Amino acid sequence: MGGAWEWAVGVLDWGVANWSYPGEPDRGILPRLTEHMRLAYLSILIGLAVAVPLGLACVRWKALYPPVLTGVNVLYAVPSIALFFLMLPYTGFSDWTAVVPLALYTLVILLPNVVDGLRQVPEHVRQAAVAMGFSPLRRLVFVEMPVAVPVVIAGLRVASVATISMVSVASLVGLGGLGQLILSEGFRRQFDAPIVVGVLLTVLLAFVTDALLVLAQRGLTPWARRDDRRSGRGRRAVARASAGAAARAGSGTPAGERTTPGERQPWTS
Amino acid sequence: MITFEGAAKLYPDGTVAVDDLDLTVETGQTTVFVGPSGSGKTTSLRMINRMVEPTGGAVLIDGDDIRGRDPAELRRSIGYVIQQAGLFPHRTVRDNIATVPLLLGWNRSRARARADELMELVGLEPSQAGRYPHQLSGGQQQRVGVARALAADPPILLMDEPFSAVDPVVRASLQDELLRLQADLHKTIVFVTHDIDEAVRLGDRIAVFRPGGRLAQYDTPENLLAAPRDAFVESFVGYDRGVRRLSFFPARDLSLREDVVFGDGTPVTEAAAVARGKGEPWVLVVDGDRMPLGWAAADRLDRAPAGAALGSLDLAPYGHTFDVGADSLRAALDAAVLSPAGRAVGVDSEGRVAGVVTQDDLGTALWSVAE
Repeated sequence: MGGAWEWAVGVLDWGVANWSYPGEPDRGILPRLTEHMRLAYLSILIGLAVAVPLGLACVRWKALYPPVLTGVNVLYAVPSIALFFLMLPYTGFSDWTAVVPLALYTLVILLPNVVDGLRQVPEHVRQAAVAMGFSPLRRLVFVEMPVAVPVVIAGLRVASVATISMVSVASLVGLGGLGQLILSEGFRRQFDAPIVVGVLLTVLLAFVTDALLVLAQRGLTPWARRDDRRSGRGRRAVARASAGAAARAGSGTPAGERTTPGERQPWTS
Repeated sequence: MITFEGAAKLYPDGTVAVDDLDLTVETGQTTVFVGPSGSGKTTSLRMINRMVEPTGGAVLIDGDDIRGRDPAELRRSIGYVIQQAGLFPHRTVRDNIATVPLLLGWNRSRARARADELMELVGLEPSQAGRYPHQLSGGQQQRVGVARALAADPPILLMDEPFSAVDPVVRASLQDELLRLQADLHKTIVFVTHDIDEAVRLGDRIAVFRPGGRLAQYDTPENLLAAPRDAFVESFVGYDRGVRRLSFFPARDLSLREDVVFGDGTPVTEAAAVARGKGEPWVLVVDGDRMPLGWAAADRLDRAPAGAALGSLDLAPYGHTFDVGADSLRAALDAAVLSPAGRAVGVDSEGRVAGVVTQDDLGTALWSVAE
């Protein structure tokens, strides 16, 4: 017991002593943490920026979805290390070497959620929007996209946790934020304090990011807090989408094409 | 006025949804499209706001072919109520109702004021303005749906099976509400249902569609029940159409008998003498305010202890009553059938007994309206 306590105090001491070095902005734990956040958040944002238009296209042109989803799944099956090294000749040791593969990986979760989110807009809601006189574009922006938000955020939660965890692997190509603590300082020097600090901060970052997304969802979609008997298909779709995404993110195996409920004709007049 | 001129909808796979429809919907009236599924009634309704484009013929509103109008713009001038309300789940009740005014470019405060006005019109509490659709009951959602359709005060209202997803009690109250609204607003309403009772209740005119998208009969509800044109219409309006037709005849013409109505203080012997004298098997007992208490059988009166008052006897329940001023012959018949005495108790609007209708008198009245 005493040994464990001393060990924990030792780790903490190391963490405090190496938090940052005045005058040396690239040394210490803090720069690794900010780098980690930069790489992870940039990848997620780029992933989202690609997934939304791609998802819209897949809903609009149904035939597009199966091949695109297969492509995204196959890409996910490529080991991340290989992809980082493949990027090196083109992007060197810049952030993009990590960000491009990580952003591509988020698509495996975000794309199906964008598509499912748009598809789960109930048909009677869509019909009502047409009958009220919404033009196709207005219907998309003011009805279908807002209704899809909870499912998209559910996907973002899974994607951000997965990405934050995966950034560490990029330390093999000299990036990787907190991963560098684990790899360079920890394993190479046979020293456990940086490993423990690196892991704890990664977990903490994932936890805080997830909490922020939950808060964002509450703020953005107050209507989605289904607290009564009519807990309709919205929540089920969210649960289904995030469960499916989590299963894939966890196992790392690409899922086959998913069956989607109902034949719908999205925003065609 | 909405005119269908040979309107048809033929799908590429050969399915005929609507076949050569000629029909005129009168302004300010409620016209009901009724028929089994696959009879083209909803398709015909949706031709009016161009949610379905006819493959043949034309649809005209006030003489103008609607193909000349921009679809989105046309739809903003036509209210639409859909089966499951179709409310936008991410918008509050108030913003749902304000949808079309906002699309028309009203400013926010005017649109919201209009929404509040409509909530009152359709019987929603102001406190529900900030709620989301999923927090409302099915009936309330449908009220919001009606309010939303009326928001921009469109002259035409299309209603596509609006009340079929709610339970019968709520449905009846929504139907009453619609009748009340229509009495004030005089919209041109086209209402689609598969329920002939709903059609008879709400429609000024009824169009019966048969499978294959053909119009079988277009008539007033009364004529439809009295003279269905063919075997299909007859079977669709139902075997009890004769009884249902009675709802078009007022009960006020029935002859009411007061001689078999007695106060609860009346001695049993007096009531027994009257019953025996007239050959009446039942007398109705009322209290001091003429509220009904129940039926007393004549043979029980004979066996009752001498000197007792009617109020001290065990009475058979009087069952349903009918309002002589407001109800129809159908309600009177219903009251008679459900009464243990086989007689209907007629009451005034306050519930006080106006008299009873015997089977003979009821039968005479029924025969007089039959054909």
